[in-house]
Amino acid sequence: MKAFVAAVIAAIILGIGAMLALTSSQRFAYQAFATSGARVSEPGTNLVGPRWDGDPAPDEYDAEPHGKVRGAASEPKRS
Amino acid sequence: MARMKFLCDADRCIECNACVTACKNEHEVPWGINRRRVVTLNDGKPGERSVSMACMHCTDAPCAAVCPVNCFYTTADGVVLHSKDICIGCGYCFYACPFGAPQYPRVGNFGSRGKMDKCTYCSGGPEPDLSTAEYEKYGSNRLAEGKLPLCAEMCSTKALLAGDGEMIAEIYKQRVLKRGYGSGAWGWKTAYRETVAI
Amino acid sequence: MQRVATLLGALLVMAALWPASGLDMSARAQSPIQADGQNPMGARPTADSVNEEFLFKQSPKITGRISIPDGKAANLIQPQGRQYQMFREGWLPWIGALVILGMLAALAAFFLYRGRILTDHSQESGKKILRFNAFERFTHWMTAVCFIILSLSGLNYIFGKRLLMPLIGPDAFGALAQWAKYSHVYLAWPFMLGVIFMVVVWVRDNIPNRIDWEWIKAGGGFIGSKHPHAGRFNAGQKGVFWMVAGFGAAMGATGLMMLFPFAVFDVNGMQVMQVIHSLIGVVFIAGILAHIYIGTLGMKGAYDAMGSGKVDLAWARTHHDLWVEQEQARTASGPQVASHPAPAE
Repeated sequence: MKAFVAAVIAAIILGIGAMLALTSSQRFAYQAFATSGARVSEPGTNLVGPRWDGDPAPDEYDAEPHGKVRGAASEPKRS
Repeated sequence: MARMKFLCDADRCIECNACVTACKNEHEVPWGINRRRVVTLNDGKPGERSVSMACMHCTDAPCAAVCPVNCFYTTADGVVLHSKDICIGCGYCFYACPFGAPQYPRVGNFGSRGKMDKCTYCSGGPEPDLSTAEYEKYGSNRLAEGKLPLCAEMCSTKALLAGDGEMIAEIYKQRVLKRGYGSGAWGWKTAYRETVAI
Repeated sequence: MQRVATLLGALLVMAALWPASGLDMSARAQSPIQADGQNPMGARPTADSVNEEFLFKQSPKITGRISIPDGKAANLIQPQGRQYQMFREGWLPWIGALVILGMLAALAAFFLYRGRILTDHSQESGKKILRFNAFERFTHWMTAVCFIILSLSGLNYIFGKRLLMPLIGPDAFGALAQWAKYSHVYLAWPFMLGVIFMVVVWVRDNIPNRIDWEWIKAGGGFIGSKHPHAGRFNAGQKGVFWMVAGFGAAMGATGLMMLFPFAVFDVNGMQVMQVIHSLIGVVFIAGILAHIYIGTLGMKGAYDAMGSGKVDLAWARTHHDLWVEQEQARTASGPQVASHPAPAE
């Protein structure tokens, strides 16, 4: 019985560890599919939002109709 | 009732990517997600053709069939839509889709890649038509406003046709007869199990 | 300056000569389309284009160049999606149901025919011998618990929408399926670790040898009441071990490919991974059902081996006589083994 309980606990711990590792290695499509020509360090207002996952936070759209910028404003990188 | 379809006349498509841009703007589609894209075949060789491709809203849609949570449904207009509330982001629809339409907000691994996103034929989702909730999840609903998908509406060479299948097939047929050639209705055989008979 | 004038002169001469020599051709070239829309020269400047039929003859899917960084988007049409649909919706539910229900029916029939396999009482009854130590039991149960959750959440991908969704409604099922997916993805890791541990711990005792062949020829004790000789693991248990090792490796490999989609394969490769994963999955589940049956309901005394780790010596001598002898010889002075039945008892 002790071995069984230890096994269940170990499975849960390893599962949580896997979850943390996999979630942290997850990349957003806007990071993965951006070229050097595309400045998407801070995606800006033309997007639904940087943390968009199709299931938006309810407060995200209250202030502005098409989402708002999160984080600091991007520096204009013009050369 | 109409049976909505897309038809890309590749002999007219000039790969301007305006359909892609219009779609992205109309629906606030995030970076990295392309509901519509233009694929160039035989690039740089004689006979090069570009085809604008999105979800074709198939008959007996493979995505809907393989979905383990049945989140897809077909509207009365023959448009294949899905519910992002039920979707679990498993990615099976991408494996089944002959046109590579389904997209996911995260791409690193299978675990938590978020809800699938795809072309809605500019007709939103299961939420009430033209509601905010619908806009946030699926983009605008032009069909409910009596308009056709924006990509086809604004195509500068009228290569991309959207509308009732029989009607756009007739338009394409007349074009082919008039100019004497046509590379065919791309993807129709796979999507609708029929093609435009000339 | 003079050179420019000479050049201009030459160009003028050329321009004057050109229409004279090619008058007929150039006139047509300027207006190739006549009033009826037909081109009299038969030249159709954009007509010699690629078409779907031609490209499908060259390769099974149509791929082109794409201007976005998502390489997957370069596939224009992959009709293999229809075949995948056919397999997943046309074949897989039937295969899965037949294999799993068939195994359950076979086990039920065997239970009705053979009943519970009991051990004859002997003078050694009541004494205990250690069969699996704590680490072995830990490994077994970690793998087993993960396997049960993985198999249920895996079957949910096939049968959930058919059986569970009508019962609890789409929204509740969607939430449940989301959690099932998380558990499938995350518990796959302790499962894979457990399979590795099991291989390391037990491979030594699972090398097939001649005794196994004798065991199989004797029907393994399932048929008749006579028990053939067996070492620590009999041929049936070795079969389970190698099934877990082999199928576990296959499920792990295909599962990792699916966990990191498109890391190695393109979309067709992913379809094949899916097919392999699901087919092996249902066979694996059926095999483990038989393992669970014989370890619990099917044989009296067998569960103790994984429950407490200690089995009845009489049971051990019946089923694993060679192992008991070996063990008693090795730990003759060991406290846990009553090596020689004391006459006083």
